[in-house]
Amino acid sequence: MKLILLKTILRDLLHRPWLTLLLIISVALGVAVVVAVDLANASATRAFELSTEVIVGKATHQIVGGAGGIDDGVYLHLRRDLGLRHIAPIVEGYVGAAELGGQTVRVLGIDLFAEPPFRTYITAGTNVSLDALSAFYTQPGAVLISADSAARYGLKTGDPITLQIGTTKKQITIVGLMQQPNDVSSRVLEGLVLTDIATAQELLDQNGRLSRIDLIATDAEAETIRQTLPAGLRLVRASEQADTVTQLTAAFRLNLTAFSLLALAVGMFLIYNTVMFSVVQRRRLLGILRCIGVTGREIFMLILAEAAVLGLIGSLLGLVLGIFLGRLTVALVTQTINDLYFTLSVSDVSIDALSLVKGLLLGIISALLAAALPAYEASSVPAVTVLQRSDLEDRIRRFLPSLNIFGVIMLAVGAGILVFGQSNISLLFVGVFLVLFGLVMYVPVLTIFVMRLATATIGRVGLTARMSSRTVVQALSRTSVAIASLMVAVAVTIGVTVMIASFRTTVENWLGQTLNADFYVSPPLSGANRIVSMDPALVERARAVEGVDAIEVLRSVTVAAQELGDVRLNATNGGRARESRIFRSFSGDPESIYPQLDAGAIAVTEPFANRHNVTEGSTVTLLTDKGARAFSIVGVYYDYSSDQGSILMSLDVYRQYWNDPAISGFSVYVAPGADVNQVEDGVRAALGGNDVVVQSNRALRDAALVIFDRTFAITQALRVIAVAVAFIGILSALMALQLERTRELGTLRATGMTLRQLWQLTLLESGLMGATAGVLAIPVGLILAAILIYVINLRSFGWTIFFTSVPEVYLQALLVSVTAALLAAIYPMLRLGRLQVVEALREE
Amino acid sequence: MTSPNGNTPRAIPQTSLIRFENVTKMFQEGENERAVLQGVNGGIARGEFVAIVGRSGSGKSTLLNLLAGLDTPTCGDIYVGDTNVAKMSDHDRTLFRRKNIGFVFQFFNLIPTLTVRENVLMTAELSGWKDNDAQAQASRLLQAVGLLDRANVFPDKLSGGEQQRVAIARALCADPELILADEPTGNLDAETGARILELLTTLARKQGKTLVMVTHSNDVAARADRVLKMEHGKLAAVGPQVVESGT
Repeated sequence: MKLILLKTILRDLLHRPWLTLLLIISVALGVAVVVAVDLANASATRAFELSTEVIVGKATHQIVGGAGGIDDGVYLHLRRDLGLRHIAPIVEGYVGAAELGGQTVRVLGIDLFAEPPFRTYITAGTNVSLDALSAFYTQPGAVLISADSAARYGLKTGDPITLQIGTTKKQITIVGLMQQPNDVSSRVLEGLVLTDIATAQELLDQNGRLSRIDLIATDAEAETIRQTLPAGLRLVRASEQADTVTQLTAAFRLNLTAFSLLALAVGMFLIYNTVMFSVVQRRRLLGILRCIGVTGREIFMLILAEAAVLGLIGSLLGLVLGIFLGRLTVALVTQTINDLYFTLSVSDVSIDALSLVKGLLLGIISALLAAALPAYEASSVPAVTVLQRSDLEDRIRRFLPSLNIFGVIMLAVGAGILVFGQSNISLLFVGVFLVLFGLVMYVPVLTIFVMRLATATIGRVGLTARMSSRTVVQALSRTSVAIASLMVAVAVTIGVTVMIASFRTTVENWLGQTLNADFYVSPPLSGANRIVSMDPALVERARAVEGVDAIEVLRSVTVAAQELGDVRLNATNGGRARESRIFRSFSGDPESIYPQLDAGAIAVTEPFANRHNVTEGSTVTLLTDKGARAFSIVGVYYDYSSDQGSILMSLDVYRQYWNDPAISGFSVYVAPGADVNQVEDGVRAALGGNDVVVQSNRALRDAALVIFDRTFAITQALRVIAVAVAFIGILSALMALQLERTRELGTLRATGMTLRQLWQLTLLESGLMGATAGVLAIPVGLILAAILIYVINLRSFGWTIFFTSVPEVYLQALLVSVTAALLAAIYPMLRLGRLQVVEALREE
Repeated sequence: MTSPNGNTPRAIPQTSLIRFENVTKMFQEGENERAVLQGVNGGIARGEFVAIVGRSGSGKSTLLNLLAGLDTPTCGDIYVGDTNVAKMSDHDRTLFRRKNIGFVFQFFNLIPTLTVRENVLMTAELSGWKDNDAQAQASRLLQAVGLLDRANVFPDKLSGGEQQRVAIARALCADPELILADEPTGNLDAETGARILELLTTLARKQGKTLVMVTHSNDVAARADRVLKMEHGKLAAVGPQVVESGT
């Protein structure tokens, strides 16, 4: 490309700082959102990988048992009788630690002598003194924590830490600090309390039991070991364990990424609008260049080069902004993972080079893609018509039928994917994007229709009103893109709001149907996929309180299922049958489900059924402490507590197959006529000395909804950004319109139109555009909501959500659209005040 | 001069640089087509100064645009030298224009973000001249139009007449054989216009360029070697004395 051409266009950019800034901001915003979400996801994944390193170390296999763990005799047998040397016992559990910022930490109990082949970072290079190591062995309650954690919370060797374990509090003492040679390994140790195995057994109340046994073995050795294992124990590959856990959050992370891409797509509209605006502004310059011999191809490359340069600057800015946003986002993402999936501690966002490169490329490519059409437009017009502005609109108008056909094709392909592409969630998102952009293709033709209606109705009021609706149609190439970008942003808001509202209502109804007890008793640290235990004796103490009518006991554990891996199992002695409405499907009479459960059948949640493709009549083979047992499914019930799904079993049946007398919590039904508060106080008093959480029905329901709202906080933030981007889109379209019509506006002023009348005209044009976007956004938003509810959520999480209409959201959408459009008109109106009539008339 | 059968006059000089044969240009107006040029024939000799006159809407600017290769005729041929520009692709026409045609516009159309010197040497650079040669050529032409001392200012600092002088220098810089001018004095006062016309014709003649100019001005037409008069999309008269009052 000729240097003089580059010089021409780049100097032209400097003469239009606002336009340049607008383009840079639009790229930066889009890139920032994508990078922020990507960094947050990557940080969470990295944190998970690091914590996996703590779990797995260099182990190739692990021996795991049921909820009760493994008898430590098994370890002794393997080491002594089979002579295995690369074998290490582990006792672990999650506890609360007040002095470590109140966070949930992992207690890892190890045998220091068995450890070296497995987790070298604990034993080598950690700078732990010999004194500390001897105390580690000999002193009761001795633990090591990382030097970083100690520094963060102002702790030192010799300081006590109070642990919240189940329903009791226990004190431990720091005997040494683990110093790591590098940043990565020190982050591995964050959130870890390392102790001797005997101390861990005592702390976690697992005397004589192990959580698992780690092995380094060849496949052949592993097979031999497998055959010697007693019933109820399994030998698994260490990597499989880790994979299963990363799979848990895959759908959640993908959903976030899809939303961030949507923000980028709205950003692309804006880039298109801005580049189109710059082409319009420069038609004269481009015309001159064409006349003096610059080829269409050179013009095309020139505009693309400019978009690439601005895209690069915008992307770099977006990266900085993205890292900043990422720090905010990572907290939200981690919170959701902790609420819904597993315990994860992410102290900071890790700046992943790959995320940054992806963001940079995405920004530049988006800028190039969005600029391609305006660049083609400017380059493909015959030289003589570059100087004639009306030509562009004529061409767009002629292009409309093709655009509509293209829309039909996109809609058809998108719908096809949504119906037939259920097996691939990423493909489903492609389907959503195709449907959305297929609908966008109809914006120009619908805009013409709405403006004709406007001319026929408000046009009767006067000339200004008629002019405004006609202007929107005359400048369709600019106005329709601005309307489309605002429409997409508002439609996404409607879609997501309706989806969240439907989801919330569904969950509220479900909570109403399932939370029947008057209050619930659980250990303080209960959470997603965590096994917590409390003393079964507490149940009898509660039952003895006056006014207690009935108690339902729950044991919630993770067990292994043949072919399905680890599954969550809830065992309850629920004597009271729940409403049959909570069952999606069942075999036989709803009244007979609970008796069937008592007889040894199971029910599964809807996500479980969807995830594992089972239904009533199917069987699930669970690896019990007494060996593999097949359980028949008698019903599938709605459950929104976990997207991984769970199995419901009778507590008696559970105890028949698993040696696990512990309980996870219980619910209390108050006798008719008794005062709930009094009974609750009575139970609290009866359980005194044990640290338990007693939550009323209402409090538990509220807590569930708090988690629900927290989960969707990030989606709300992305919506705000989408609307902000669309707002800038309308602003740039209005500016383009005004620039194009400088001469016309000058003529209007010269012929006697007051400044106030010109303002009215601008406000009307902008308001009409906003209203059109708002009106079109309602059906598009509803279609989007339906897709999110019936396709994406069902496929991602396996939940049936019942559609709830939210009438106020439509009015809100209209208000947001019109307000955004009217606000965008302010700056162009101010510019009108500075319009020099004589200069404007001289404009060619 | 009118042809014996009363049709469009033919005037093709012996040593034509430009020949146009049966050139018709239709424009779409809604569902109807309107003929702006109807089977125009003619020619312009090498080194000749030809003025095209006619009332507004008579088709004179359309003919100029077609000769420049800025637009293509609906039918007919336009030869510049041996090249039929009517049959070339847009890309090839642009490359052809770049090397062979200089353009002077009524509204100057200088590029505001380039300095006077850069505006002038742009056409030479586009045509692939070496930088030193282009710079020297720009200096020579700026000297010729009397603006060498303003070479490094931007066009907005110049008066209308000065801007048009820069435009003339730009049109000549790549050393094209043909200069096309679309009412180059139309946006200037009479005195400045006369000076510009003098400069343009002098430079064109001195360098042996062929000059085709669209004009409304009798004075301008009077200086031309030949005048083509357009009427209703046809070439109505050809000759040095066809200019009528009011055209």
